[in-house]
Amino acid sequence: MNEITAEHFLFLSAALFIIGMMGVLTRRNVLIILMCVELMVAAVSISFVAFAAENNTLGGQIFVLFALAVAAAEAAVGLGIIIALSRRGKSVDVDQLHELRD
Amino acid sequence: MSWDVIIFYLIAGISVLTALGVVAARNPVHSGIFLVLCFVNVAGIFVMLGAEFLAVIQIIVYTGAVLVLVIFVLMLVDPEDLPSFHTSAPLQRYLSFLLGLVLLLEVGAAILTRTAFAGSGPATPQAVEAIGGNVQALGQVIYTKYLLAFEITSLVLTVGVIGAVVLALPERLGERIGTRRGTISLSHTRGTDDMLPAGPRGETPIRVDRTRPAPAPAPVRSIITTKDPDAHTRVGLVPTGDRQERNSHE
Repeated sequence: MNEITAEHFLFLSAALFIIGMMGVLTRRNVLIILMCVELMVAAVSISFVAFAAENNTLGGQIFVLFALAVAAAEAAVGLGIIIALSRRGKSVDVDQLHELRD
Repeated sequence: MSWDVIIFYLIAGISVLTALGVVAARNPVHSGIFLVLCFVNVAGIFVMLGAEFLAVIQIIVYTGAVLVLVIFVLMLVDPEDLPSFHTSAPLQRYLSFLLGLVLLLEVGAAILTRTAFAGSGPATPQAVEAIGGNVQALGQVIYTKYLLAFEITSLVLTVGVIGAVVLALPERLGERIGTRRGTISLSHTRGTDDMLPAGPRGETPIRVDRTRPAPAPAPVRSIITTKDPDAHTRVGLVPTGDRQERNSHE
């Protein structure tokens, strides 16, 4: 308990990831689901940086950098989809989005 | 307990609590603000791990750009479209709690019993310090070993921007531009604001009647998702006359 090890960061990462996952599973608002996905991405990046610091490499940090760029693009496209859904006069409730099925 | 242990538990506790706030807040705007707090704490974790560049990027990209975008879209979405708080089926909620617990136990067991260690690489804290710091070390690696991946990232961002613009465009943009043509002009002379330009087939300009009363404004809607729409902040521009009328009603 007197020293911070990589396990501490890994447990924090797991906790944040699982909180984000529960948000994705329980909430119905598409915007909240997108925020929870961002939370999961941040949790995984903590894992990456913790492993990189433990092994004295920079690869983990580079990977987080690329994942961040992809997450930003994903957020832009996701928000575009939400605006398109809202403009069509339909709901942004995920339980009612089944236009592709019908 | 040394100071860094105390600071770690402080940051970790705040980030977990704010993450719970993201999931549990009823107002989506509150969720967004909790997410900002959580990402700032994650940036603190990055600083503790010696990744200062990533910490700064985390704050700039996530809290500076992505979260502002999310809150902006939240303001654009019709509040009547927003669903109520949780899923209607409580079974789904209990299942997700169970799944989260099981996953936490699994990951915890995996973390505590792991045996595969990659060993020490070249980038020890002393080596990074000798290069000049975290930013310099990252830059040297990005622009040599990972140059191709870095360029492809720019391609991904470009495609993402194009996709976002295409998705968010109005479906009938052409018609809207056609009907409004001539009303927005950067080069008309002063004093001719109420003269529409001549039509495409040479019709005479129409003089806009400014004395006519403006059409009734659309009803103001509240942005919040709960059941009582009157209990929350009203959004939108209410003309002053309408506001006075509304106040006299109340």
